[in-house]
Amino acid sequence: MSERITIKQIPLEELVITPGSACQGCGAALAARLAFKALGPNTIRHSIPACPDNVTRTPTSGGEFEAGGDHVTGTWRALKALGREDVQVVGFYGDGGVYDIGFQSISGAAIRNENVFIICKNNEAYMNTGGQVSGATPQLAMTTTTPVGPMSRGKPNSRKNTPMIFAMHGVPYVATASVAFPTDLIAKIQYGKGIKGFKFLDILSPCPTGWRFEPNKTIEVARLAVQTGFWPLYEIIDGRKFRLTYKPRELKPVAEYLKLQGRFRHLTEEEIKEIQRDITDYWERLLKLDEIGEILL
Amino acid sequence: MIEIRLHGRGGQGAVTANEILAEAAYYEGKYAQAIPMYGTERRGAPVTAFLRLDEVRVRERDLVHNPDIVVVLDPAIAQRPSILEGLKAGGLVIANYPHPPERFPLGGNFRVTTVDATAIALETLKRPITNTAILGAFSKVTGLVKVESIEKAILHRFPGTLGEMNVKAVRMAFERTPAPIQAVGGVKEKDEEGPLSGSGYGLIRSAAGWRTFRPVWNYEKCTGCRICWIFCPDNAIGWGEERPTVDYRKCKGCGICVNECPTKAVEFKREEI
Ligand code: SF4
Ligand code: SF4
Ligand code: SF4
Repeated sequence: MSERITIKQIPLEELVITPGSACQGCGAALAARLAFKALGPNTIRHSIPACPDNVTRTPTSGGEFEAGGDHVTGTWRALKALGREDVQVVGFYGDGGVYDIGFQSISGAAIRNENVFIICKNNEAYMNTGGQVSGATPQLAMTTTTPVGPMSRGKPNSRKNTPMIFAMHGVPYVATASVAFPTDLIAKIQYGKGIKGFKFLDILSPCPTGWRFEPNKTIEVARLAVQTGFWPLYEIIDGRKFRLTYKPRELKPVAEYLKLQGRFRHLTEEEIKEIQRDITDYWERLLKLDEIGEILL
Repeated sequence: MIEIRLHGRGGQGAVTANEILAEAAYYEGKYAQAIPMYGTERRGAPVTAFLRLDEVRVRERDLVHNPDIVVVLDPAIAQRPSILEGLKAGGLVIANYPHPPERFPLGGNFRVTTVDATAIALETLKRPITNTAILGAFSKVTGLVKVESIEKAILHRFPGTLGEMNVKAVRMAFERTPAPIQAVGGVKEKDEEGPLSGSGYGLIRSAAGWRTFRPVWNYEKCTGCRICWIFCPDNAIGWGEERPTVDYRKCKGCGICVNECPTKAVEFKREEI
């Protein structure tokens, strides 16, 4: 399991070349900056179409949206053939490329337990092309393809639970993280880096443009997602050992999180209550898993 | 036919301003064509939009290459020589700029007027979204579209209080915009910050012009906790000698450092032009 670190233990070395062309206050740009600090220079980065985040000082290649898992597989196997097993191969992808379009190729890499690290900068929609709905978009969120109007209340169905789906592949390491908890995020990558096999980290990366909040609120929003249980922080080893890495005595009301964002502006009190019910129910189940330290499946 | 080019930043509403102007012209029986230039969404990055107005049907479909009028929604962009590209001799520049037209930094064979649209937007909308205010200036100095038509188009697009606030911004700008003068600024040929349009994958040279506000550190209040440093998405805050240092070429002015500093040692000040 990952070990607790403090902010002073975060490496000072920066692997990003800035300024990049991401929006002001972009959560995904911060996710890239933090993740590559933890990964270090001995890393090969692979990208598929997504919002520009931060350019990194690592060898980088790009490929097709649907084939992220295949690209990292090929890169890792080539390194293995060259005897360079010390190099981290990282697929740094958006939620569209991980949850939806690229899912089959990444699932394939997980099943084969390839020695790769898939990191998802999850901004919960296809923000690169103007904010279309993705499998990561939460229920009732307004996106450009799930607008709010007489016939629609936003996205009709709930988010895909992709971290759990990857955990159920039985891979060595799966975790969730948030840009508002940088020590937790970095500790998880440092831990995952030391494991051979398939690793998956899902980083909730608020998008001021698509979620509709002011750019200075990125961390505030990201923090509330965790404190309200909307985005629980946990890690799973071998699809079995389970641990919550952030466990407040009490969760904040989810309304505090929703009300900061324009994409939820239309919600009625009744709808907020419904979301609260789902969140509380899921959080209680995670607490039970955390207590026994295991997923009983 | 009158051809117009608008320059702004993602989030300031250049594309919306363009459409409102086209709609207002349409109310007056004119033909109008609004062309946005889309890249991927980048709040803060330079954006361009084009408009054609005529008494007869507009048949051109190309982007505007030789505008009669250039409208600039952002004071940092207004300083950049690239905004003059292709401007017709004797053309007109209407710029969001905090100083009178006599102090407009660019010169050449064109007329110019300025209005502090950012101040007006902050006053009326509480946010630096300058697209509607600048339309008040446009109406005043060109007379191409009546201010009443602009207000009607705004209220059609934003019904309710939001529309009312924007109408207020339009009127304020209409009152405050002086008559254009012959440009007296210096002639600058080189644009230090690179091209104004086109999608920005990879590196750009400086993000300094993205800011409306600038974070300023008060080291007396700083405890050296590193929180501002760790949360800056653009790595504009360096960590040297136990205190944060900022590189304003990298800072986009998102304000995260201001919001997150536990001792309020970082303050936001309006960017000086
Ligand atoms: S659209 Fe969102 S995710 Fe994309 S660059 Fe802008 S803030 Fe970042
Ligand atoms: S967050 Fe505030 S107190 Fe902490 S290092 Fe930055 S300026 Fe200093
Ligand atoms: S405002 Fe602060 S956090 Fe935002 S880019 Fe500038 S220095 Fe970084």
